[in-house]
Amino acid sequence: MSVTGLLGFFRRSFFHLESRILQAIGFNSRAVVPALSVQGPGIFPQPHRNEETEEHSFLDNMFWMAAPKKRRTIEVNRCRRRNPHKLIEIKTNIEPCPECGNLKQKHVLCGFCYEKVRRETAIIRGQIQAQEGKPLNNPAVETVVLYEGEKPAATDAGKRIVERKRQRPSWFTQY
Amino acid sequence: MRLTLPALIAHGRYGRRMGLGPESRINMLRNILTGLVRHERIETTWARADEVRIYAEKLIGYAKKGDTDEKAMKMASFWLTEKDLVHKLFKVLVPRLGSEQHGYTRVFQIPNRDSLDRAKMAVLELRGNPFPPLVTRQPDSNGTLLNQLLCGYRQEVTRSRAAGGD
Repeated sequence: MSVTGLLGFFRRSFFHLESRILQAIGFNSRAVVPALSVQGPGIFPQPHRNEETEEHSFLDNMFWMAAPKKRRTIEVNRCRRRNPHKLIEIKTNIEPCPECGNLKQKHVLCGFCYEKVRRETAIIRGQIQAQEGKPLNNPAVETVVLYEGEKPAATDAGKRIVERKRQRPSWFTQY
Repeated sequence: MRLTLPALIAHGRYGRRMGLGPESRINMLRNILTGLVRHERIETTWARADEVRIYAEKLIGYAKKGDTDEKAMKMASFWLTEKDLVHKLFKVLVPRLGSEQHGYTRVFQIPNRDSLDRAKMAVLELRGNPFPPLVTRQPDSNGTLLNQLLCGYRQEVTRSRAAGGD
């Protein structure tokens, strides 16, 4: 038995013990230490081997993407497409307007009747604008609209009179 | 989980957001309110009409204190951008609406706007305006002479049938 041999034995056993301890901890030295260390340009198979090892660990890490397993049958598709929550809701709040007979929603004014009133209001407003002459000339008095053949009543004493050259429409009641 | 998530969810919160921010919202509502006081009937989006209603009623509430009251005058001069309407508010609207405690304005929903946005529109008007009414109550046709006579005839027929059946 030589001294160098004995020293070498102790050295090797120490390293072996170290690697066993590291393995026990979980620190895989095989992954950390490069398999082949070469100076200069690497040998061609090496990156390929690294890729392969990486891919194996890729699979090991269970990183899957979702994909359908089976074709959805037409029966299943029909069930999904025709489910009541996907169909258009039927409105039960539509009714005919009692005045004109056009359809209207219960909580909304009739479009036809409102349009009539809107046009008349616009004409009256045009007359008011013509009477005022210039902008920002609003007098601080009430306004009353009189149609053909109507005279101002006693209550319309100090009011501004807007005259409309037509017969009073039936839906514009005076009270 | 973001801790700011509840701050972004607005469930159950009251105030609406309009325009570019709170100041923009107040300016927009001020313009609409001025238009309402001038024209007494205006057409806007339903949300804006709903908001302006609150401010219109408060403004008239303040104006009822009279034009000598400093606070009322300040409010009127802030909210009405056209100064001839301040006179109209104190001299016309307050005598007209002063007898009621609330409900000076009315909002009706009208069919959606014709343009691409199909916005929910409403017409906002002051009570007692000189324009044609938006809702006309149908007179009860049961009270007319003809209908009463027909009603009586129907009752007589059923009575005679019941008597004849016995």
